Amino acid sequence: MEHGGNLVNRTIMLPASVDEAVEALAVTPGAVPVAGATDLMEAVNAGRLRPAALIGLGRITELRGWRYEDGGTAVLGAGLTHARMDRPDFAALIPALADAARTAGPPQVRNVGTLGGNIATAAPAGDTLPVLAALEATATLARAGGVREVPVSHLLTGLDPLRPGELLTWVRVPLLHAPQVFLKSTGRSGPARATASVALVLDPARRGVRCAVGAVAPVPLRPLEAENWVAGCIDWDARGAEGAVLIDPAALAAFGEYVAGACVPEGGAHGEGSGSAAARLRRTVAVLARRALGRALK
Amino acid sequence: MTSATELPAPAPADPGTGTTGLGTSPLRTDALPKALGIYPYAADLWAEGLLWGAVLRSPHPHARILSVDTAPALAIPGVHAVVTAADLPAGPDGTPDGAPTGQVTADRPVLAAGVVRHHGEPVAAVAADHPDTARLAAAAILVEYEPLEPVTDPEAAFHAPPLHPDGNLLRHLPLRTGDPDAVGEVVVEGLYQVGRQDPAPIGAEAGLAVPRPDGGVELHLSSTDPHGDRDRTAACLGIDPDRVRLVGTGVPGATTDREDLSFQVTLALLALRTGRPVKMTLTRAESFQAHTTRHPALLRYRHHADADGRLVKVEAQVLLDGGAYADVSAEALASAVAFSVGPYTCPNVFVDAWAVRTNNPPAGRMRGEGALQACFAYESQLDQLAKQLGIDPVEIRRRNAMTTGDPLPTGQAVTCPAPVGALLDALDTTPLPALPLDDPEADWLLPGGPGGAGDPAAVRRGIGYAVGMVHMLGAEGEDEVATATVRVSGDHATVICAAVDSGQGFATLARQIVQSVLGVSEVYIAPVDSDQSAAGPSARSRHTWVSGGAVERAALMVRHQMLQPIAADFGMSVELLTINDGKITSYDGVLGMPVSEALEGRELWATAQCRPHPTEPLDPETGQGDAFVSIAFCAMRAVVDVDIELGAVRVVDVTVAQEVGRALNPRQIEDRIEGAVAQGVGLALLENLRTEGGVPVNASLTGYRLPTALDTPDVRIAALLEERDVVAPFGAKAVSAVPAVVAPAAVAAAVRAATGLPVGRLPILPEDAIAPA
Ligand SMILES: Cc1cc2nc3c(=O)[nH]c(=O)nc-3n(C[C@H](O)[C@H](O)[C@H](O)COP(=O)(O)OP(=O)(O)OC[C@H]3O[C@@H](n4cnc5c(N)ncnc54)[C@H](O)[C@@H]3O)c2cc1C
Repeated sequence: MEHGGNLVNRTIMLPASVDEAVEALAVTPGAVPVAGATDLMEAVNAGRLRPAALIGLGRITELRGWRYEDGGTAVLGAGLTHARMDRPDFAALIPALADAARTAGPPQVRNVGTLGGNIATAAPAGDTLPVLAALEATATLARAGGVREVPVSHLLTGLDPLRPGELLTWVRVPLLHAPQVFLKSTGRSGPARATASVALVLDPARRGVRCAVGAVAPVPLRPLEAENWVAGCIDWDARGAEGAVLIDPAALAAFGEYVAGACVPEGGAHGEGSGSAAARLRRTVAVLARRALGRALK
Repeated sequence: MTSATELPAPAPADPGTGTTGLGTSPLRTDALPKALGIYPYAADLWAEGLLWGAVLRSPHPHARILSVDTAPALAIPGVHAVVTAADLPAGPDGTPDGAPTGQVTADRPVLAAGVVRHHGEPVAAVAADHPDTARLAAAAILVEYEPLEPVTDPEAAFHAPPLHPDGNLLRHLPLRTGDPDAVGEVVVEGLYQVGRQDPAPIGAEAGLAVPRPDGGVELHLSSTDPHGDRDRTAACLGIDPDRVRLVGTGVPGATTDREDLSFQVTLALLALRTGRPVKMTLTRAESFQAHTTRHPALLRYRHHADADGRLVKVEAQVLLDGGAYADVSAEALASAVAFSVGPYTCPNVFVDAWAVRTNNPPAGRMRGEGALQACFAYESQLDQLAKQLGIDPVEIRRRNAMTTGDPLPTGQAVTCPAPVGALLDALDTTPLPALPLDDPEADWLLPGGPGGAGDPAAVRRGIGYAVGMVHMLGAEGEDEVATATVRVSGDHATVICAAVDSGQGFATLARQIVQSVLGVSEVYIAPVDSDQSAAGPSARSRHTWVSGGAVERAALMVRHQMLQPIAADFGMSVELLTINDGKITSYDGVLGMPVSEALEGRELWATAQCRPHPTEPLDPETGQGDAFVSIAFCAMRAVVDVDIELGAVRVVDVTVAQEVGRALNPRQIEDRIEGAVAQGVGLALLENLRTEGGVPVNASLTGYRLPTALDTPDVRIAALLEERDVVAPFGAKAVSAVPAVVAPAAVAAAVRAATGLPVGRLPILPEDAIAPA
């Protein structure tokens, strides 16, 4: 690896298993794991990060795929790339995550950028994050001599963060077998970060709607009241019936407003500028939430 | 040297009937190596024992420099030199800390002394044996600043304390023509804003300086003005221009000047200081700080028209933000003023325009500087007039369109072809793109892109039209000239001309010219360096004209030398001989002789100059004068889809009709138009180097949004009108700048049509395109 000499004379390790990787993390001071490096190298190039050693995760093949557990859960490897998640077999399992992966940057970046890196970076505009929040996913964190399981949302909020020496290995996602949508607004046609995004999943077994709004706050936000309210507006029994109307269009629009009101605070009392910026963002979120539910129920 | 005027006016060469020569579309020779990634750029250069340069830049947009301590940098092992303004020789008038430099106006220090006037201004530079060492050493230099209040609002610059000994007003240019009291039946007013577009060349600034035994220096970099850069560099270094040699390397993208002067002077200074070759490559973040941008503009317009939509009076106030240094602001302002009405006739025009100094990033040359900002404003005004009067937007333009011979508001008669009406008519001969809604099979790329949030039910399609103009060549009395040498020996020819092929295709064109005139197929274009005769900068749409003209004249002189003896032998005049495919034939077919045979082993060569007719400065009180050599015109139809709930805009199609005088290489023209449209669409929707308190906030390729293939529309050429410009070599006009001038206005018009909103600023943000259903 040679880039502007920044990494010259630094250790780079390429473990082939999770065990080797956590061992390497434990014994190498200042070591940082690296997957696709699409976030990491940006930080290195900008001089924000000068890792003493790098632990490349690319050779840990088990983390680059997924498996099933208990019939109802998919266990996703942290090394799954965005490009892999966008493929039809994966999209059939967890459609919203595939939608998010499809828009997470240009193809070159999606070919190497990973789910684990997206979570660990925890950027406000991380595209998989609202989907994981809506799916109430949990993450497995491995360290030398043990593992623990944490809700992804706790990781993101810092309630229970990734600790030094820990590796994110797996992400557990429930398989809901129902429509899911991820919508992202960027203001352009080419690849870009979200100015706002909405993930929405239906959970017919529990007659629930779960929704998360991304990019408007440091972490994805869940409008729980709006979810509960709109779940009651849906004609769940008509689902699947030909030509059925599942929801009153007025309720769709009201849901959008409800979500937006819950996730984008009123602009500060001072200054019209910030007020109108907030109003625009709220409008965008309302449109995305309305469209997302509309598509899920189509 | 032979001068072109001594030429006995030979018959122009056969105009491209063959597969080479003018009018055909040979592929450029650099196309394949560029596509393969093997084309060498300055960043690829290497010299034995080279050192690496790095620049320390100001973190403040405006500050007093209290002290500079270079000792900590010099103490770092591997550091060979640290230079500051104090290391520059005194200016010609004895000014300490080096002579100021700059394009057009020299008011810019090479390295800041005493005061910094914009964020990123170079303060010191380092040469070290490793690029990291150089950067660390630059960062170790201790500069004590006293931050000063930056002037960032151009309107405040008028009353702010002077930011520079030359003051804050870079130029004021009024234009007065006709009756100030004229009134029309309808009046429309508008305020228009244009953001800061960065040229964002694909390759960042890079160069290699090698000291010469004679105390001079050789600079290898992608200059687009080798002689100008040589002279300015020599002046700053206090040495004779002959001891500075600029060697052109591959230009990795230029729609403006490359590289900035401070870069090359600093590089040369480091090489002279250390006696070693020094290489410097800027990071992307530095690149944004190192080059000039487009002028942000504020334009206030009032149009008076009669009930039929004919213009009665145009009043305008134009304010260009020149940033910290003058650069070409005076030129940009002249274009904005002279073209303030657009390609329309109007008897009464009253304009006041100012370019001012601020502590914002310096603005400079960028395709259609000044003309572009005006085009957005006057075309927006015509849309408003059309709406108010209930006249079709194309019809109102047609009614006011200028034609050949009409005057500009500067009083200059437009003597070159100006078929504005015909350009508008040509647009609609190309059918509109289909609405995918009517065709379920069609793949509809919705605004917001693939996988975006677009909803067909919320998408409105809009069609907008715009026409615009820009001048070619230097204006207001600038001496325009280029020199070229053509040599023939054996079966091939060589062109020596210091016109840089900045990607505009001049090398291909020069080859075609020589092929046409001399009938040889193999033409070698010599690499450019400043020891050749000057051809001037690759800017202002000039090389096709002046350098192409010089190449043609030199080739014609060689042709004459070659044919004269043969014609004499056969007792016929030279005009009765033609050269094609390497063979000389007479009109009656009696003679058929290969060129190589006619040469009899000799080498023929000639040098010629092309100097267009002179122009004059605009009158400082009335803005009147014949300031331009010639003008290019273009009309465009843009089709956009707008998601009116999210404000996302996608440009679906841009159809172009352009007056080219003569299409010398049709494919190259189409490429140039496509590129210019992409750049115009970028300005219209995406590109804006935003600043907060004078500090750029999105100076990276993540933050500064350049159009990608998905943002760029299909570009279709409805017509390339070929009405020869009689005073231009080949009758041809330059093609690259005018589509960039018109595209933003056309996109804005289309968004207006889709949303019904006024659209008064560029780029058009999502919030400007959200409309009621
Ligand atoms: C041009 C460009 C466009 C982009 N666009 C988008 C976009 O639209 N949407 C979006 O969401 N993102 C985008 N990104 C960001 C980036 O691609 C994603 O966040 C990606 O998922 C990061 O994954 P990675 O494997 O490259 O992470 P890396 O860069 O390898 O790592 C990122 C961080 O995560 C840590 N890390 C990685 N894997 C693990 C692990 N298993 N356990 C513990 N820590 C770990 C690393 O130590 C590092 O701190 C873009 C990036 C670029 C360069």
